[in-house]
Amino acid sequence: MTAFRALLASEARILLRDRMALFFTLIFPLIFILIFGFLMGDIGDVSQSTMGVFVAAGADRDLLDRTLSTAGSTAIERFESLDAMQEAVTDRRIDFALSWDGSALRYFYDANRVQENYAFQQVAAGLATDFDLRRQGATPAISVEPTDVGEIATTGWFNLVLPGILAFSVLSSGLFAVSGHLTAMKERKILDRLIVTPMAPVALLAAIAVVRLVVVYVSTLITLLVGVLVFGLRYDVSWLRFAVFVACATVGTMGIGTIIALLVRRPSSASNIANALAMVMMFLAGIYFPVEFMPRFLRAISEGLPLTHMANAMRYVTGVMDMADTEFWAITFSLLGIAVVLFPVLARYVVRPLRR
Amino acid sequence: MKEVLLLALTHVVTAIRERVTLFWFLVFPVFMLVLLSLIFGQIGQEGEIHFDIALIDRDAGGSDPAGFASMIVSVFEGLAKPQAAGQEPLFTVHRPDQGEDPEAFLDRELTALRRGRLAAVVVIPPDFDAAVLRGMGPSPGGDAEPAKLHVYMSRTSVASGMAAEIIGQVLSEIDREILARSGRFDPTAGVRTETVWLGQSDEETSYVDFLLPGIVLMGFFTTGLFGVPGAILFNRDRKVLRRYWVTPLSVPRFLAGFSLGHLALCALQFTILFLLGRYALGATISFARPEAFLTLLLAAVTFMAFGFLIASLARTANAGMATANVLNMPMMFLSGMFFPVAGLPTFLMAIVYANPVSYLVNGLRTSVGVESGSFSSGLVIGVPLGWIALSVLVAARKLKWDVER
Repeated sequence: MTAFRALLASEARILLRDRMALFFTLIFPLIFILIFGFLMGDIGDVSQSTMGVFVAAGADRDLLDRTLSTAGSTAIERFESLDAMQEAVTDRRIDFALSWDGSALRYFYDANRVQENYAFQQVAAGLATDFDLRRQGATPAISVEPTDVGEIATTGWFNLVLPGILAFSVLSSGLFAVSGHLTAMKERKILDRLIVTPMAPVALLAAIAVVRLVVVYVSTLITLLVGVLVFGLRYDVSWLRFAVFVACATVGTMGIGTIIALLVRRPSSASNIANALAMVMMFLAGIYFPVEFMPRFLRAISEGLPLTHMANAMRYVTGVMDMADTEFWAITFSLLGIAVVLFPVLARYVVRPLRR
Repeated sequence: MKEVLLLALTHVVTAIRERVTLFWFLVFPVFMLVLLSLIFGQIGQEGEIHFDIALIDRDAGGSDPAGFASMIVSVFEGLAKPQAAGQEPLFTVHRPDQGEDPEAFLDRELTALRRGRLAAVVVIPPDFDAAVLRGMGPSPGGDAEPAKLHVYMSRTSVASGMAAEIIGQVLSEIDREILARSGRFDPTAGVRTETVWLGQSDEETSYVDFLLPGIVLMGFFTTGLFGVPGAILFNRDRKVLRRYWVTPLSVPRFLAGFSLGHLALCALQFTILFLLGRYALGATISFARPEAFLTLLLAAVTFMAFGFLIASLARTANAGMATANVLNMPMMFLSGMFFPVAGLPTFLMAIVYANPVSYLVNGLRTSVGVESGSFSSGLVIGVPLGWIALSVLVAARKLKWDVER
């Protein structure tokens, strides 16, 4: 126990003195949140889009106006000339535009807004259908009543991205605790010196895990707070589940770091592989892009990644996604199981001197 | 000249032999190009996008094969079949089993929807056929109410939102068909709808054409940002550079060889990404234009100079790599490389405007015809040149070519 306390104090001091490590664990997720919060806050949200409208002389303006009154929250900006409206589209002062000359509805889009045009076209298709029916004096025979089944009011896709980033922080912290910190200790022969003392390898691992855990809690809580205060995101956190999940996920991902540390010959390669692996997982785990948008084979890969399930579990504990409680506990205890199985391997094969 | 060429060759061979460098230099840009093309290049394209939905027909008269409810069911069943061999159907439609209680089925499917296992649930309510007929008949108080269909979706899921949009369009088409059959709407007299694409061509830019210049610049950027300080600082700290300085090699010649090697790496990277984009992903843009070539060259030199700037300011190799890591994501994402940056708050727009990547991305995309120039050509050239000048100035004063004794 004395060894554990001493190691805990030394690990905490190492982390507090390592400004770069502190920056990456505490500040870097915040930079991510700030950038992505503003960049992705309204992606796919056409409610803030502006449509230009030009009606040629002699065309039925009233009919179009009645149709446009159903355009929802899309803002309308009227133009007196077609050229001025087209210029506004290409200059991106407006998002897309509509002209009506009495015989055809023409929609104008900036050909280069490849990420947004799909959403604008959806709005345009709805308006065209409505206009067509009104023009022939017909009323719809069927109407669609969309009902949101979500129990939590969300503020868009970014509401789901943030817990994903939290899960990624946990993954990085766990992976690099072994594949970065521990292997660096090994390479710099600090482990050699520790191992000749009466210290049990488990005490060192426990000290690393506890320090990482504290950092992960602080980091995730600060990030959540920034999301709530700066971006007005809403979360209904189940704190008990959050605490248990973060602990199990941190030690579980330390276990995954063990596999990497065992597979590479040079300890320094472990951190590089962990870095590459984390980056690939980040893009495939549905953190930034919905998994449903991926082709089938990528969806299958995504399903096999621990980060996908960690992100979903984090969304569940922060109250933005529903999940069966049994599924949540299955994910949590699977991560704990990985740690239970791999920690003895870590203690036996990784916490040992570098072979010469 | 020979030593310059040999140094250039050494730089290229070292970069290719180092697996980590190879990952960031080649594997990661290729991964991003393929992944983003597969994800965003197919949004909204039938045969490439797929949703799991549930459909419940609770209309007692739904068994009438000529009924409206049956018509809706058969349309969705048609959409659950692939439109061509090798393609995914638009929907996988979950239906209650024979004899299954529809209420229990609905409960189960709504739970699945909440849990992200389904994209939407469509419910045809009881008495739907009669409601459609009532809606189309004469009404004493004016237009009768249209028959309501319930579409359950989850706003927490982007995919669910998209599925609901598509379902809305499908139902809208069915509505027109019903109105046409009842003689209330003449599809042949429908108003003509046209789409006009404004840009350098009269077609929408394909996503891979939009993405490729960004990924090429991302590759150049990471190669400069990580490759240059990595090569200079690690070689300095491991005293490899010291060995050069005991030979007749001068720093300017070393720099010439290093820069040539760096440009060769960028050329190799560009070639691989371009061939992949062109022949595997169907990109059609051409970089064979003088302005595109000059922008690529300017980008490679700017990012190399930026790497020297980092190497000059960092005391150790690890500090240099950490600084590069800190700058990497903000500079990439606050440049319009992947997401539009218009509408960002002022403090982030300040970074966008100071960021040389913003000008180079815009300049390259404009030069290959996939973006209208948001920045004047003076800025596209001037801002990166300013960064090159600043980097050279700082490197000339601060960069240490040997470890301190």
